[in-house]
Order: sequence, then C-alpha cells, then structure tokens
Amino acid sequence: MQFEVIYQCHTTRARVCRMQLAHGVTMLPTFMPVATQAAIKGLTPQQVESLGITLILNNTYHLNLRPGTQVLHEAGGAHKFQGWKRNMLTDSGGFQLVSLNKFTNITEEGALFSSPFTGDLTMLTPEESISIQHSIGADIIMQLDDVVSSLTVGPRVGEAMERSVRWLDRCIEQHERSGQKDRQNLFAIVQGGLDLALRDQCLDAMIQRKDRVAGYAIGGLSGGEEKDVFWRIIKQCADKLPVDRPRYSMGIGFAEDLLVCVALGVDMADCVFPTRTARFGVALTSKGPLNLRLKKHAKSMDRIDNNCPCPTCTSGMSRAMLHHIVTIETAGAHALTQHNLVFQAQVMGGARDAIMEGRFPDYLRTFFKNYFGDRGYPEWCVNALRSVGVDLLQGGDVPLIPGSGAKWEYSDIA
Amino acid sequence: MMGSPSLTFTLPHSVPRFSARLGKLVLTRLTPDSDTIMIEMETPNIFVGTSRGVISHLSRDQCNSSDATKWINVPFESFLEQTPPVPTMQTGPYPLHSFLGLDTRRHIASLCLRDPLDTREMPPNGNVHVSANCIRGVRKVTTSDWRNYVHKMQPDVVFALTDAPFTSPPHSQKRMTKSIERSAAWVADLLRPMPCDVSSSELQSPRISHHLLNVFVHMAGGTSLPAREAFAFSLKEKLHGPEAEAIKPLHSLDEGITGYSFDLATLRGIKPHPNTSYHQSLPDHFLERESPTMLQNTSLIAEAHTPSPTSASSGSLPAEPLVPPEIASLLRTSLVELPEGKPRLVTGSRSAHEMLRLIRDVGVDIFDSGWAMGAANVGVALDFVFPVPPTDCDAADTERRDLGHNLYDRIYAHQFSSLSDAFESAAGRASGSGTGLFPRRVCSCMACSPRSPPLHILHSTLDHQSYTDSAHGEVVVEYESPYSRAYIHHLLHTHEMSAHTLLAAHNLAVLSALLAGVREVLADETGEGAGDRFALEVERFESSYEESMEVFSAGKKAWQDVDTARGKGRLAREKEKQVASSEDREYR
Repeated sequence: MQFEVIYQCHTTRARVCRMQLAHGVTMLPTFMPVATQAAIKGLTPQQVESLGITLILNNTYHLNLRPGTQVLHEAGGAHKFQGWKRNMLTDSGGFQLVSLNKFTNITEEGALFSSPFTGDLTMLTPEESISIQHSIGADIIMQLDDVVSSLTVGPRVGEAMERSVRWLDRCIEQHERSGQKDRQNLFAIVQGGLDLALRDQCLDAMIQRKDRVAGYAIGGLSGGEEKDVFWRIIKQCADKLPVDRPRYSMGIGFAEDLLVCVALGVDMADCVFPTRTARFGVALTSKGPLNLRLKKHAKSMDRIDNNCPCPTCTSGMSRAMLHHIVTIETAGAHALTQHNLVFQAQVMGGARDAIMEGRFPDYLRTFFKNYFGDRGYPEWCVNALRSVGVDLLQGGDVPLIPGSGAKWEYSDIA
Repeated sequence: MMGSPSLTFTLPHSVPRFSARLGKLVLTRLTPDSDTIMIEMETPNIFVGTSRGVISHLSRDQCNSSDATKWINVPFESFLEQTPPVPTMQTGPYPLHSFLGLDTRRHIASLCLRDPLDTREMPPNGNVHVSANCIRGVRKVTTSDWRNYVHKMQPDVVFALTDAPFTSPPHSQKRMTKSIERSAAWVADLLRPMPCDVSSSELQSPRISHHLLNVFVHMAGGTSLPAREAFAFSLKEKLHGPEAEAIKPLHSLDEGITGYSFDLATLRGIKPHPNTSYHQSLPDHFLERESPTMLQNTSLIAEAHTPSPTSASSGSLPAEPLVPPEIASLLRTSLVELPEGKPRLVTGSRSAHEMLRLIRDVGVDIFDSGWAMGAANVGVALDFVFPVPPTDCDAADTERRDLGHNLYDRIYAHQFSSLSDAFESAAGRASGSGTGLFPRRVCSCMACSPRSPPLHILHSTLDHQSYTDSAHGEVVVEYESPYSRAYIHHLLHTHEMSAHTLLAAHNLAVLSALLAGVREVLADETGEGAGDRFALEVERFESSYEESMEVFSAGKKAWQDVDTARGKGRLAREKEKQVASSEDREYR
C-alpha cells in the first residue's frame, strides 16, 4: 500500500488521501459499498465500476460458507470470481459470528460456533480468519476481533478489547508468514466499547504495532449506542491514530454520519444501508430520503434529482415510474441501488473537493442546511462539528433535534 | 410535431406463402430536429416483452446497450392502477419512449393492453370493453379508452384490442361468433381516424388518418378453423355503408393493418383460477426483510408454465412434438386468404424447436422471448446454436443435448467456463483460444462478453487519479473475462438478483443468435430449392437438442427450493438434502 495525505482541512480534522493498492488508486475519504455475497445486489461489477466506485467490501464469513475457499481458490481469488478489477476489502467475520449466531462462544483460542452447515462446533481462530482472507485475496484484510455489542457493559468489554489486541498479534504473525504482505494489507480494529479509558488502552497497544499494520479500523460502534457517545469515541480514536495510516469507521452509512466522521478525521466507511434501503424503495437525496413507495410520488414526473449524474436520473426516469416498479420489479431495485451508490459517492467526492479547496466547513453547513434545514439539525451533529471548529448554526437559527435525528420519509403525511 | 413513425416490411425474395422467409422491418421516424431515423430489423427476429414497463431484471443502461433488445413490447395494463394511467401524463415527443427510458434511435416500442403471456381466468369482456389486470384488480378498458391511450402514448406499433375468451374452454359457437365480431369491430374502431383533440389542433400535421398508426391485429378464432376463417374474412371484406364511412379512406380493415399476431398462450388454454393477483398486498414486516421476495415475483414464477417432459412410455419413438400439429394449421388458416407481404408475429412460443417449426411451416417473422426470459427466472442458462455446427452433429454420441444448463445444479459449482458451450466469449476470441476448423460464434451478452466501462462518473476533481494509472490517461474499453457458471451458481444459491440479470441478458442474446442463424441459412439459399437446406437444418437441430426441456423443470424446482429454504437453519437443511440426494445417486 502506498498511502499519502494530500490535503489537510484547515479547520477540521478532515483530510484527503491517495491510497494505492494492488488494484488501483482509491481517493479518500470514500464510502465503500457492501457486496456481502460477492455481488452488489442486482448490479454487475462493470456497472459498479462505471458509477465511479473503486473500493468495495466482501464478507469473509459469508464467502467462507458459500462458495467456500476451495471454489475461490480454483477461481483464482474473489476478484476473478466476481469479475471485479478494482480494490476490495474483506472483514474478518468476527462481527457476523456474533450478530448471526446466538451461540457463538469466544475462547482465547478463537470463536467457537456451530456451523450453519452441519451444526457441528467449529473454531474460527485469528490464524484461520487470515488464511481465509488470503484465499479471498482482498487488497485490505481485517484482523479477527472479539466483538461485543456496543451496549454491553462490565468486565466483558475490557476482556474483549484485550483479547482483540492479542488476536491482532496472532493475525500479524499469520499474515507475515504467508508471503501475501506485498499484495494484501492488514488493518487492526480498535475496540473498547463506549469506555474512553478502554479505548485509550486499546489505541496505545495497537499504535505500538503500527509498523506491522497498514491501517486502523474503529470497531464496536453502530450498534445502537447514543449518537452523542458515538461521535466522541470516533473523535477520540481518530485524534490518536497515526496520521500516516488510513482510518476506517465500520458500519457507517447515513450521509450525516459520514460527514461528521470525515470531519473528525475518518477516511473510509462502509454500510449496507444505501443498497438495502434501495431495495425497499428509498432514494437518497441531498434533501433527505425519498420513500418512493408513498402515494405522493405516484404521479410525479420529476426525476429523483435533476443534478444527479447516476444512470437512473440521467435516463430521465420519473418518480412515477419508480413508484410503479420499486419493491416489485428487480429493475426497480437496480435503478435505486445505482442512484444511492452515486449519491453516497457524490457526498464523499464533494467532501474531497471541499477539503482540497479549503471550503469544507461551508460544505458541511450547506449539506446540513439542504438535508435538515426544513426540520432541524440533529443535536449530536452540531456538537460533534463544534468540537472540530465548525458551527453549523452560524448565520441561521435552526431547531435542534435530540436523539439520532436521522431523517426519514415515513408516510404520506410527511 | 413530427409525423408518426412508419413501419414498412419487405420480403426481398419471393417464397411460397407458408415457408421460411427473410424479411426486413424498417421503422422510420423524424426527430424533433427533423432528422430522419431508420431502425432496421432483419426478420425472422425477436421482440422483448416488458413487465410493469421494464424488461425483467435489466436496468435501463443494460437494456440500452444490449444488442438483442431492439423491439420492446409494453403491455399497458399494469399502469391502470392509477387514474389517469401515469404514462399518459408524460409530455414531449415520443412519450412512451420517454416514460420508459427507451432510445428513439434504437428502439421500436409497441403497446398492447394485456400481457399476451398471462392466461389467468378473467371476468368476461363486454361489447365495448376488455377486462384487464392490474395490482388493484380488474379494470374495464373501453375501446375509446384504448384509442385515447394510444393517441397519448404514440407507440411505434399498437396491438388492437381483441376479445379472447379468458374462461376455460370449450367455448360455445355463440361465444366464438361474438369473439370474432367484437374483435373485428374493435379493429375498425382503432382504425377510425383520430379526431384532433384541443391540444393537438395547433399542430401542423395532426393525426387525421389511420396511416399514422402501425396496427397489429391478433388473429381471433381460437382453436376453431371456421372461426379463424371467418375472422380473416372480416378483415379482408370490402366494407359498405356506415362501416365503410367510419374508416374512410380505407376500403377494408386489412388495408389499415400492418401485421398479424398470434398469441399461442391463450390457444393452449386458460388457467382456471380466477385472477390470483400475486402481489396484491404487502406481507407484514415487509420492510424488515433482507430482500423482499416480491422482487422475484415468486408466485408468478412458480405458476409459470414448464413444458412437461415427454412421457416415458413413448419408448424409442421420437419425442412427441410440443406443438400439436394444429397450431401451424390454425395459423395458416388465418393467413391463407390475407396478403403474404405483412409481418407475422407470434407470442407464447415455448422452445427453440417450436420457433423453428413455425418458421418452416408457417413463415413466422417475429417471436416474443418469453420462454427465454422464463428460463432466466429459474436459473437456466440457454446453450444452443443454429445451424448446428458440423462437428457437433456428426459426432458419434447421438444423445441429444439440453437447451440449457440448470445452474442451480451442484455440478456447476466448480465450472469456470462461460455459460454456453455453443458460444465463446469475446475475451476468449481475442485470445485466440477459439480458433479451429469451425470457430464458435461469440456470445455478445454482458455475461459472456462484459465490456469495461467506457466512462466512470467522477465524484471529485481528484478522481481521475484512479483511472490514469493503467492507460496513460485514456480509458480503453476492453472485453473482460466472462462470468463463470460457478459464479452464477453461487449467486443463485445466495439468492442474489445479479444472477437473473446476467442470465436474462445471456438468454436474450442466445435467442437472438438463434434467429440470426436462421437468417444466415435462409440468405444462403435463395432461388431454386430454397427452403430445403433450412428444413434440413431444422431436422439437424431437432436431432441435436432435446425438446422436452426437463432442465427447465429441474431449474424451477431448484428455484422453489432455494426460495423457500431461506431463513434460519437453511444451510443445514440444504446440507441434509445434498447428502440425501447423493445417497440416492449411489443407489442407482
């Protein structure tokens, strides 16, 4: 990996970076769409590439079950298997072990879980996770971490954090033994729950290993914790992580979350949200989400967004046509998936330009005004951005919404 | 206002009335800038039907870049759920094209009221209305509604309303008579000159003449030969009195008709269950599901017709043809007295074999592609070619091959070749691997010959850095490796929609290539003995490929299994079945 910080925002902690991996250059900050089962749902890799996306996620846990490492090996890796020529990241499977399996039992050796195939108890060790990720062949691979729900409290959180550090060492050893180091890059995952002291310990331990890891992820968040706690953890981690390593915030996908994270110094994020919500008929726009299943869109001849460069909007597809097909025809899901991925990429691309041109604070204010101006800013966003020197309320009086403040188009009344 | 598009059909060689024929359809239209666009379509060829206005599983960019989608047919009925139907609110030239995102330079767009492949039982039609189906139930569409929709949508081709009885046969003679009379009257109604409405009165060349519509007429009469004769006669006869007055300056209905169509699905019978709407209401917790099953039109696929395997008792006798011989004779009966030079269009054919026979025995020019799309729905990748290459046919093994691969089958889990044996990929051709005495054709679909994107959306001024490292600043469009059977097998078992997208594009390309092969054979043998080689090639095709299409039934079964297997414990259940089925194999 060649990683280079090219611009640093004068006000916030945001930065623009160039990250060169074995499958090309990805400009950061960026959003990474998720291809859980080796496909961005409904699209072909050529389509995804044409949308201007250069880095996608595959899921280790799922690919290990299907098609399995044998098939991936025969295919020559996941890139060749799915026809994706650009960069790819795989997570370690730790998160899915916990979220998809009730009876996963974590021991020092690894995660003991009952195989969905046979019901037999199977052990996923850090070494095993890394070697599966070697079979997949992604450009960025993640350490196996001991994941606990972000709502967990008590000694388990500290134990998980300490174990994640020990597992990182085992992952590093396994990775360095493999001879894949020149093509694949191992990221560490900072744990420690919502406890600032534990996070700090974890950061210290993992930063000590900096010479042997290519980047850092911030894990254990996006699990239903208070947003006001969420951003403080992100800030704490991003502040402390080394400047010359990419920082990846896991499971972040709402536009406001992305921009706050970028302002706090995060370079990469991933989430199934834009693609999943597309399948349920929701289009993301700079003025907030549009639920195209609602009757109020049934006769609208407008596009989703006249300025959007995505294939759906440039083809002139009306909201009425989308209303007619979403959640019924697969092509409706494809149309919105294309649009939503472009929306995410535009939010992040716009941020790159704004940072580079020294107007990122204005970019943030404009985004929030368009997106939330009609109903009020999430209070946590205002707080988070104040912590890096941007006052969203400058020059205007907008009500503050406590809680997550996320925007949604629920019903015809909205 | 531009003039309406005109559709002409020419047959360059004279052939007997009912034999395979080469033809050319040309649609000529003016653009708003007064450019003339001509869209040419050699026949025999295919058109592609839409579901709710989209080609199933294909996004607009894919539809617009596929070579196989030239003529797109739009059943209008799904739009009846809004009043007025939403497409009629589209403004500007060529509203049907605009609303659906079709390219006026590449696509012929036709409009029909009902989906010709939907044979579910329906409430009866009336003297001036047809019962049509939409998500909110049955809608009555009157003949004047239809004129109005056609007038607003300006399709390149329109199908006249027809009174096919959507009830279980047999139909009484009285019902058949009524069907013919109504169908003829409805043709006459569509051919009446369109009155200028207020909005178009300022236009320079308002639609005042029937000549502006390209009308295809469904040949009514069901399975009764006399009824078919009678309907054909009513098209051909010279009209008098008020009937003649209504369609002036035409003298007979046939004068105003561009082509004849035959909906085979209704000839094969009506599904007795009344109007089972497959996505009428949304299930509970719809939004919480990972991927709505609606996206797969579950019950529609499950209900879809699968050709039944030929009965095992036939022993060494040749397989019974799926088309009872009557179908060809039904078609011929309708056409025998009508002009030979008009295009003949068939919907609802069920196999390549049937299409070839209808070309050979009737001289059909255009087919729909419903069965190939249906195959994509159930995970089948088509794999056949016409004419059959010499090597394939004369080989010692005389076992007939299937028309496709059921990619759900475990044997494909480790196959990394492209989808069809009969075709090679563009990348394979470029690397020279496919050269030989009989080089295979290239399958141009996006699964076998994916092309690297010519353009990338740039999201910031820095993004060009992602695209300059490989090609000195220029993006080179190149063919990429084909998608493998193993990959699509994986996508099918993980219920990924991309599987059906790739299969739909592929199957359309294979079907399109079938007709291209037919045209090549026909072009080779004009003049003396014309038709002989074609008939021979059809025979060779029939002896090379299995018509029973058990692979389709197997695909459908596997599709249902995967569809119902979702949820907790699925992998374990599948494993059990795998073990059971491999034990089963050992027993045999």
